[in-house]
Amino acid sequence: MNKAATHHPTKPAAHNAAHLQQGVLSGIRVLDFTWKTVGPWAPRLLTHYGAEVIHVERAGGWDDHRFAAHRSLTTDAPEPNHVQGEKQLYTDPYFNTLHHGKLAISLNTRHPEGIKIVERLITKCDAIVENFSAEVFPNWGLTWERIHQLNPRMIYMSSSGFGHTGEWKGYRSFGPTAAAQSGLSLASGLPGQPPAGWGYSYLDVMGGWMGGLALMQGLLHVKKTGKGLYIDYSVTEGAMSMVGTYMLDYQVNGRRTRRPDFPPGNRAVFPQVAPHNTYRCAGNDRVGQHWWVFIACETQAQFEALCALMHQPGLALDPKFTTNEARVAYQDELDAIIGRWTRARRRYDIMRQCQAAGIIAAVVQSAEDRVEYDPQLQHREIFPIIDHPDLGECPYEGYPPKLSRTPAFVHGRAPTLAEHNQYVYGKLLGMSETEIDGLRERGVI
Amino acid sequence: MSGVYEGLTVIELADRRNQWAGKLLSDGGARVMQIEPIDGSPGRWTGPFVQDKPDADNCLDYWFNNTGKQSVALDLACKPAQDVLRHLLARADVFLESTAPGTLANMQLDYASVAGNKGLIYASLTDFGQDGPWHDFQMNDAAHLALGGAMASTGYSDATVTPIGGKGNQAWHMGCAFVLHAITVALFDRMTSGEGQYIDVAIHDACAIGTEGAVPHWMYFGETMYRQTGMHAAPRRLPPLELPTRDGKYVMAINQAFSKRSWDALLDWMDEKGVTGELRDPKFQEESVRTAEYRQGNLIRDAIRRLIAVSDAEECFRRAQTAGISWAMIRAAEENYDLPHYKQRDYWRSIEHPQIGRAIPYPRGPFACDALQIEPRGRAPHLGEHTRHVLTHDLGLNEQEIAALTAAGAIK
Repeated sequence: MNKAATHHPTKPAAHNAAHLQQGVLSGIRVLDFTWKTVGPWAPRLLTHYGAEVIHVERAGGWDDHRFAAHRSLTTDAPEPNHVQGEKQLYTDPYFNTLHHGKLAISLNTRHPEGIKIVERLITKCDAIVENFSAEVFPNWGLTWERIHQLNPRMIYMSSSGFGHTGEWKGYRSFGPTAAAQSGLSLASGLPGQPPAGWGYSYLDVMGGWMGGLALMQGLLHVKKTGKGLYIDYSVTEGAMSMVGTYMLDYQVNGRRTRRPDFPPGNRAVFPQVAPHNTYRCAGNDRVGQHWWVFIACETQAQFEALCALMHQPGLALDPKFTTNEARVAYQDELDAIIGRWTRARRRYDIMRQCQAAGIIAAVVQSAEDRVEYDPQLQHREIFPIIDHPDLGECPYEGYPPKLSRTPAFVHGRAPTLAEHNQYVYGKLLGMSETEIDGLRERGVI
Repeated sequence: MSGVYEGLTVIELADRRNQWAGKLLSDGGARVMQIEPIDGSPGRWTGPFVQDKPDADNCLDYWFNNTGKQSVALDLACKPAQDVLRHLLARADVFLESTAPGTLANMQLDYASVAGNKGLIYASLTDFGQDGPWHDFQMNDAAHLALGGAMASTGYSDATVTPIGGKGNQAWHMGCAFVLHAITVALFDRMTSGEGQYIDVAIHDACAIGTEGAVPHWMYFGETMYRQTGMHAAPRRLPPLELPTRDGKYVMAINQAFSKRSWDALLDWMDEKGVTGELRDPKFQEESVRTAEYRQGNLIRDAIRRLIAVSDAEECFRRAQTAGISWAMIRAAEENYDLPHYKQRDYWRSIEHPQIGRAIPYPRGPFACDALQIEPRGRAPHLGEHTRHVLTHDLGLNEQEIAALTAAGAIK
C-alpha cells in the first residue's frame, strides 16, 4: 500500500472535536441521524471540508453497520459487540470508512428528555439529516415546521427511498430497492439473462454523494438568503434523473429499455461502436473468478491499431470489419477473434500495449488491484494511510476533488460508540457532570 | 425563476463527460453557455436520435444532458475563437472543462492564464486528473467502470461469466457528482473570500472510491468480493435475492428482518398461494428465531422464492411494501411514467420541443426542494443557437466583427 500517502500526523485519542482539521466548512455543524449506507455518506462528505458532523446512535444500541461487523478491527474477535476490554471500537470496516471524521453520541429518542435534547441540539446546528422511514421524525414531533421554528436557518434533509410525500412515502428501501425501481438495474446485464444490477451497490454510494451535494447546495442557499430549507430527497428519483436519455427515447421513439436486445452486456448502445466489450485474459482472481480486460475502438485508427497489435492487419481489410457499421453487424465474430488474442495474455500487458497504441483498454480491476497496484491512484493519494493511536496505521478511501484554495482532506477513523458524549452534552450544551450522569442513569444517553 | 445557482454565469466546454454537471448547474438556475465545436459537441452525435435520423439538433442524449443551456459554436483551433473564449472567461463565475491536460495551456487558457478574473472557479473534470502515470490513457465510460472497480463487483454468480458495466454513463455521473461538490463549496467560500480557485477532479478517482464495501474488505481483511447475480458483491456467497416472478419479471427481495406485522401478512399471502410450507410452525412467531432462520437457513428463503414465482411483480412490490417489507420490482426506466406516486410528487417537467411539435416530460431532478429548485428550465439549445446573441450582447461585438469571425470560420 501507499505509505507515501501518509500525510496526517499521529493525534491523541480525541474525546472532543479539537482533532478535526480546519477547512472551508469549519463552523458548520450537522446533526446526523442517518444509518446504513446511503444516508451516512451525505453528511460524511462535509467532514472533508471541516464541518463538524455529530452522528447520533440509539442509546443502548448502535448503528447496525457497527453491529454487522465481521470482526473487530483491533481484536479479530468474531462479534465486536462481545469484545471486552478498553478497545471496544465496535467498528465494522465499512463503518470505519463511512463515518470517518464524524463525532458520535448516544441518545435515547424514545425518552421525552431525549427529544428535548434533540431540540436543543437543533438550535446549535446548521443542518439535520435522517434516513428513517417517513413517519419517524413526525412521531418524535420533529416536523419541518417544528424544526424551522426552533432554528429558522436550519437545513433539514430527509433521505429516503421514495420521498416523504406521495402514496409510497411509507415504503421501505435499500440501495438495491431504489436501483430496481428507477430502471438502473434493468440497464445492466447480458441480453436474455436476469438483470445484473449494480453490485457494489451503486445507489448506496452515488445516492449518498448526491445527498452530500444537496447539503452543500443547502449551505450555499442559507449563506445567500439566511433562510433554512427542507430537502425531500428520494434516492429513487435521484436515480431516475440519471437514466433520462432512456425515458426520452421512449417518449420520442417509443423505444423501451425492456426489450430483448437490451442491455447488451458490455457492448455499446449509443453510439454503436465495435469492438466494445470485455475479453477474458490469462488467470483468475483469489476466489476463482476469471480475469478480464475491457477494449473499445471508437475510431477507425484505433481499430487498425488493434489489428496491427494482434498481428492481424488483414482484419482491417476484411469487408466484415472495414467500417464501424460492418463491425457492429459482425461483432460476435470480431469479439471471438479478439477474445482468442487476449485469452492467453496477461491483463496489464494488454492494457499497456493497447494504450500505447492509442486504443481504449482497461483492466477490470478488483479492490486489491486498485489499492495495491494502481500507480495512478497511488499518485493521486486516493487511499491515504492515516495513523491512529488505537488502530495504528489504517488505509482509508480518500475524497477525490482537489481544490487549490480550500483543499479537502481526510480525517481518518470513525468515532467509537458514544465517544463524544462529553463534548456534545458537556461543552456544546453546557451540561454539568451531574446533569450528564443523571441522563445516563435515566437511560437518556 | 430562482434556484441555488441563480445569477451565476457558467462557461462549459462541451464534452460528454461534464455535460451532466453543466445540466445540474443550469437546472439550478445558472446561465450555462456551452462552447461547442463548429460541427457540434460530441454529445450531439451519440444518438439515440429522433426517428433514428442523425442530426446535431435531434440527439436525445444531448437533449437530456443539456437542458436550458445556451450554445456558442467556436472553432478553438482559431486564435480569434480562443480570444472569444478568453473574453467570456474574464466575466464568468465558473468554467467547466474536460480537455486533455495541457490542451488549454497551449492556448493560454489554463487557470494561470485566466486567473486575472479573481473570482473565477475553474473546474477540470477529466479521466485521470491533471497528472499521474496514466493521465493520457484513452478511456470511455465503460472503461472507467472496468478500471475503477464497478465491473469487478457487478455481474453474475457464475465465476466464468464476464463482469458487467451498467449502461447510462454512470462513471461520468460519478465524476460529475464530485465536480459539483467542489464547485458548490468553492462558491460558498467565494461569498466570503471573494476569490475563485482551481478544481481538479478525476473520474477514475471517483469510481475507485465508489465500490461500497469492496475496498474496506480488502484493506482490512484481505477479502475479495464475489460477483452475485443482481445483488451486492460480498466476500462470501449469499443466497439469491433477485427472483423471477410469474409474469416473467424480477423482484429484488431484499429485506433485513420481518416484524410481527410483516410476518403475519407474509404468511397470509403465502397461505393464499399455497406455498407456506413449515412456516406456520409456532417457533417462527419469535422474531429472533425467524431472523436467524432467514439469515442462515433455507426454509424462509425457499418459501419466498415459491411465493414470488406464483405472484406478479407488481403484486409482489405492493403487497410486500404494504406489509413493511422492502422488496422492489425491477422496472424499466420508462415504466415510471405510468406510476401515480411520481405524479403525486410533481416529478415530471414538461419541456417544449419545436423539432417534434410537442412537449416531453423530463425527470425533475434529484431533489424535491422549492428553495434549491433544481429542474430543467427549457430544452437543449440548437447548435450555435446563441452564438450571435452572446457575441453581441455579452461581448459587444458589432456586425463587421461578427462577419469577420464567420468568414474566418471561427464561429457558427
